[in-house]
Amino acid sequence: MKWTIVVGVKQVPDADEVGIDPDTGRLDRANAPAVMNPPDRDALEAALSIKDEVDARVVAMTMGPPMATPVLEEAVAMGCDDAVLITDRAFAGSDTWPTSLTLARAAEYLGADIVMAGEETTDSSTGQVPPGIAAHNGWAQLTYVEDVEARPEANQLIATRDVEGGYERVAADLPVVVAVAYGEFEPRPAPLHRKLYAENDFEPMQLTAEDLGIKDEVGLDVSPTSVGGMETVQPVERKSEVIDSADDLADQIQEVML
Amino acid sequence: MNDKSTQAAGATLLDERAGDAALEAPNYDNDFDAIIVGAGLAGSAAALTMAQRGLEPLLIERGKYPGAKNVFGGVLYTPTIRELTDLDSAPFERYIGEKRFSMLSHDDETAVSLKPGDWHREPHNDSYTVFRGDFDEWFAEQAVEAGATLVTETTVTDLVREGGGIVGVQTDRPDGEIRAPYVVLAEGGNSLVSEGADLKAREDRTNIAVAAKEVLEFPENDEAIEDRFRLVGDAGVSYHYFGEGAVGEAYGGGFIYTNDDTVSVGVAYSLDDAATKRQSPEETLNLFKSHPAVAPLLKDARTVEYSAKTIPEGGAETMPDLVHDGAVIVGDAAGLVLNNGVHLEGTNMAVESGYYAGDTIAKAAENGKTGASALQSYPERLENSYVVQNLERYAWLTERVEEDRDLLFEQLPRAIADASTEYFRMDRSPKATHAKAAKQRIFETLGGWKGATKLALRYRKLVR
Ligand SMILES: Cc1cc2nc3c(=O)[nH]c(=O)nc-3n(C[C@H](O)[C@H](O)[C@H](O)COP(=O)(O)OP(=O)(O)OC[C@H]3O[C@@H](n4cnc5c(N)ncnc54)[C@H](O)[C@@H]3O)c2cc1C
Ligand SMILES: Cc1cc2nc3c(=O)[nH]c(=O)nc-3n(C[C@H](O)[C@H](O)[C@H](O)COP(=O)(O)OP(=O)(O)OC[C@H]3O[C@@H](n4cnc5c(N)ncnc54)[C@H](O)[C@@H]3O)c2cc1C
Repeated sequence: MKWTIVVGVKQVPDADEVGIDPDTGRLDRANAPAVMNPPDRDALEAALSIKDEVDARVVAMTMGPPMATPVLEEAVAMGCDDAVLITDRAFAGSDTWPTSLTLARAAEYLGADIVMAGEETTDSSTGQVPPGIAAHNGWAQLTYVEDVEARPEANQLIATRDVEGGYERVAADLPVVVAVAYGEFEPRPAPLHRKLYAENDFEPMQLTAEDLGIKDEVGLDVSPTSVGGMETVQPVERKSEVIDSADDLADQIQEVML
Repeated sequence: MNDKSTQAAGATLLDERAGDAALEAPNYDNDFDAIIVGAGLAGSAAALTMAQRGLEPLLIERGKYPGAKNVFGGVLYTPTIRELTDLDSAPFERYIGEKRFSMLSHDDETAVSLKPGDWHREPHNDSYTVFRGDFDEWFAEQAVEAGATLVTETTVTDLVREGGGIVGVQTDRPDGEIRAPYVVLAEGGNSLVSEGADLKAREDRTNIAVAAKEVLEFPENDEAIEDRFRLVGDAGVSYHYFGEGAVGEAYGGGFIYTNDDTVSVGVAYSLDDAATKRQSPEETLNLFKSHPAVAPLLKDARTVEYSAKTIPEGGAETMPDLVHDGAVIVGDAAGLVLNNGVHLEGTNMAVESGYYAGDTIAKAAENGKTGASALQSYPERLENSYVVQNLERYAWLTERVEEDRDLLFEQLPRAIADASTEYFRMDRSPKATHAKAAKQRIFETLGGWKGATKLALRYRKLVR
């Protein structure tokens, strides 16, 4: 049987281009161009590396506005077989709970055997979405995964997980949700003709809240997160002193330590 | 397998879509009418021209976006761009309302400033400061809107040949070969593809200038640019500097251009000097910035960006063959830069050559012709245009200035500064004495009437 691997990708402001407004000290995200959440490229690579070994199809999905389509194109350019834009006005204001519910339902709808995701996003960085998908669907979850090994004959995925002081190898029955550790999978470059196809001729499949049967279960109203307040933390003024000789330095250190 | 029967309606949809051959193994060989290497000014001008004639060209750019990798301290000249597209939404910084030429000795400055009233009126003598990062992206967008396809983060590494003709390019991506009936090489001065494919000789170091440039801002003074350069509204300046105070012993010059709220400061000089006189671009730039006539303009400025690049300065004689079987070379890659001290122009010629190349290819495609002969009208039209005429007109200048450089860049600036000191001296002797001393100082340097006449003759073509 052919496995279906669905990869969650999200559009975020380019962290390299996010500036700090010198007057307010706030992050200026509005002017930063949108890019694929970098850890999601690792997730794509992990998925494609499984496809290199076993009979599988890899499908990228994003929940977001139509403006997020370029991340799907990028995924298709890299080698995904197809991509799905989950978009609906009803999703506006969703926090991690409805977001993971939506992605969970979409994974089910697409017949996913494996859901691949990044460790966390660079804009909200909760890391809650992949475990949320697993919880909503009652599927197994593997987090902080550094390496994957497919066992199609046993219908299992074996993962190497980063744990305190070392690693562990865990086998999970499918379906499973995998969140990969950032930096562990070197994303492959997009082949030229695929890149041209993805950027110029590819149209993603589109799904709405209704298609997924969750029209009344998403959006701001059902999002349990409430923001209590925001505060800008002023950096603490640190005392600094230039010391000219090593001996004086040693004295100073001794003084502080005593 | 998990139970997909009820939920997985989407899987069926995926199955249906999977029948699409393009989704499996897309192939764009000979889908595009032409491939353009480099989305700089020349490349985008060629793409825009072809797209306007109904062709579908592919622009390949190595940068993250067009302009991302372009170092340019500068003034963009727009006579041809204006013909090709609407400039209303173009990201200009300021128009040039003043040009100033200045001779620097060790610590003197002698300058001439030009401020024709006409430059303050549209179209501002078609001279604007721009950031290439912004402008090139905008210009490529115009080509894309007209029907060109742009692919970025892709570097062309070689040309593909078949039966002696050029039939496509090889890129650094997997599955990276792509074919099209025509290839336009618009890769700029560092033309590794054209050289690697033996379409042009490797630049010899006397024919290349190095340039170092900084963009500076004035964090504590919002009015610094308007005040120091005496600007109103969108007006800006280009200041050009020569002499030992600008680039030391090297052959070249320095410049300051005003942007919206930054200035571009740079030096450009012969690569030969950079190599043999052991003068690094960074050191040269720092010396220039600290000259007593320059430093006050830049006081309390902070560097936003530093960059260094090479500029071809060969002119008409070093121009390679512009047409090959299946390919043409345009812009800086073809050596179309005028860099002789008085003028540093390349943007206008890049666009002009891209336009002729694009138009020639559109006509050839219309007639279903490929091969070198079908493209021959490109160099012919370029030769009849101002581009080659200007390059030829000034070819002699670079050589001559090189021969006279001690006199022109060191002795003369010093003599002029000394002479003005004499001429305007405030003391108790009569003006006639001062004037005589001043004249004497200049004449000594030039070698009397005879020397002066000879020098004037040597450069008479400049004003002919
Ligand atoms: C305190 C707080 C308040 C918020 N309030 C709001 C709000 O009011 N309105 C609002 O719209 N948003 C809000 N958000 C943002 C929103 O909750 C998250 O952006 C979204 O739910 C995804 O969470 P995340 O970015 O932390 O993902 P993580 O859990 O960090 O992401 C891990 C991985 O999950 C996958 N993934 C995550 N999101 C998507 C997606 N959309 N599509 C596909 N794959 C995905 C990716 O593979 C990603 O690498 C809020 C966030 C926080 C922290
Ligand atoms: C410091 C400096 C100051 C200057 N000042 C002025 C001035 O004031 N006025 C003026 O008119 N001219 C000036 N010039 C000259 C002017 O910049 C050039 O003449 C002009 O940019 C030439 O345009 P082009 O399109 O031919 O090349 P470029 O602008 O160099 O564009 C080439 C493009 O090709 C891309 N590329 C290169 N190789 C590859 C490859 N293998 N694969 C894919 N893409 C590739 C590059 O990334 C780039 O985008 C200056 C030049 C320098 C360096």
